[in-house]
Amino acid sequence: MFDTLVQDFEAETGHSAQVNFAGSALLARQIELGAPVDVFVSANQQWMDHLEAVGRVDSANRFPLAGNRLALVSSFPEDKSREVETVLSSLEAADRVAMGLVAAVPAGQYGKVALEYLGLWGDLRDRVVQMDNVRAALTLVHLGETRLAVVYETDAESQPDVFLVGLFPPESHPRIEYPAAAVGQSPTKATLDFIVFLQSDATKSRLEQFGFGPVKP
Amino acid sequence: MQNWLSPMEWQAVLISAKVAFWATLAITPMAFLTAYALVRWEFPGKTILNGLAHLPLILPPVVTGYMLLLLFGTQGFIGGWLQDIGIVLAFRWTGAAVAAGVMAFPLMVRALRLSLEAIDIRLEQAAATLGASPIWVFATVTVPLMIPGLLTGTILSFAKALGEFGATITFAANIPGQTQTIPSAIYALLQVPGQEDAAARLVVISVSIALAALFLSEALARRAHKRLEGL
Repeated sequence: MFDTLVQDFEAETGHSAQVNFAGSALLARQIELGAPVDVFVSANQQWMDHLEAVGRVDSANRFPLAGNRLALVSSFPEDKSREVETVLSSLEAADRVAMGLVAAVPAGQYGKVALEYLGLWGDLRDRVVQMDNVRAALTLVHLGETRLAVVYETDAESQPDVFLVGLFPPESHPRIEYPAAAVGQSPTKATLDFIVFLQSDATKSRLEQFGFGPVKP
Repeated sequence: MQNWLSPMEWQAVLISAKVAFWATLAITPMAFLTAYALVRWEFPGKTILNGLAHLPLILPPVVTGYMLLLLFGTQGFIGGWLQDIGIVLAFRWTGAAVAAGVMAFPLMVRALRLSLEAIDIRLEQAAATLGASPIWVFATVTVPLMIPGLLTGTILSFAKALGEFGATITFAANIPGQTQTIPSAIYALLQVPGQEDAAARLVVISVSIALAALFLSEALARRAHKRLEGL
C-alpha cells in the first residue's frame, strides 16, 4: 500500500523516497536515537506521542493519515453470515481467537477494549492467542490454527480464504488512526512536499482504494 | 524477588526455565544419536541428515517457526496426528519447548560430533582386545570421553533455548502465563514506551541464569577432565 503512495509521489514531484518498513516501536526508537528519517508513519499513536514528547516530532508537522476499523475474521465459511457478537459468544471448547499482543500491539489493545465493551473479554481471555503483530494473527486464521482473529478491516480484505464476520461497532473502541509526521524540527523542502502530498486528495483516493477509511476531523 | 518482578515477569522467568530445561533434555538423546550416526556410520542420505540437522542454524528463526506451525500445528501433518492421541503443542508451553529444542539441536549435534571425532579410536580397540563387548566399550570408554562435549552441547543448547525468540513466537505465540518466555516478555515490554526498566530487569535475570549455567558447566567440565586424566 505505502509503496504505491511513494511511487505516486515520485511520479508527481520527481523527488525520490526510500521506505523502511518495521514495527512502530522499533522505528520510533531508531528515530529517537537519531536515525536519518524524514517522515514517520505509524499505526501507533503512543509512539508518535512519545516522539513528540522527546522533541523529535513537532506537533505542527503531525497529522492523521488514515483511519481503519476493527474486524473479526474467521476460518469457518459459515461464520460469514453470522454476527460478530453471536460468533464470539457461542464458541466451541477448542476455538481460539488470535489477536495482537493486548498489552502492546495497537490492534490487540483496541481489540481488548472492544471485547471489554461488548462484555465478552472475561469469557474470551483464556482463548486469546497473542501474537507479536496483527498480520501474524491473521496468518493463524489463514492456516486454520485459530478459528477467529481480531484484525483491521484492511487486513481482512487483503487475505484470501479468510472470512470476514463483521466489523466491531465504532463506539466499542478508541478511533483507529494512523498518525504521520515530519521528523525533526526543521524539515526540508522535499519532506514538506511529501507531507503535503500525503494530505492531498490523490492520497485520499489511493487510501480508499486500499480500504483505509477517511480521517474524521 | 517476587516483589521485584511483576507476576507476569515472574511467570515468564519460570516458563523460560521450564522450556529451556525440557528442550535441552529432550534433544540430548536425539542429538547424540545424530552425532554418532554422522561420525561413525556410513549410510545413504548421510549428507541429507547432516543438512537437515543444521537447517535451524541457517534458516531465519521465523521460517523455522512457521514450518513448525505447518507441521505441528493443529491443522498440521504431524500436529493433527498428535492431537488425535491427545498431544497439543501449538500455543502451549510444550510448543515453546519444541521450538527452542529445534533451534538448539544443531548446536548440540556439533558439540557432540566434535567430541566424538576427537576420540582416539585405538582406545576403543584396546578395550575390545581386552575382552570388552561393544556395549561395554561404548558405556565405559566412548561415553566418558564424550563428557566434555556433552557438557558443552548442553550448555550451548540451554543458552540457545533460553534466548530463543523468533521460532517460539511464531509457533507458540506470546501468551502471558502459557508461552510467554523471557525474550517474548522483553519484546512485549519494548513495544510500549516507558517500560524499559521492566525489560532491563528481565535482561538481568536472563543473563544471570545463563551465566550461572555456564559456570556450573565449566565446573563440571573441569571435574570430568580431572577424572579422565586420572584414568
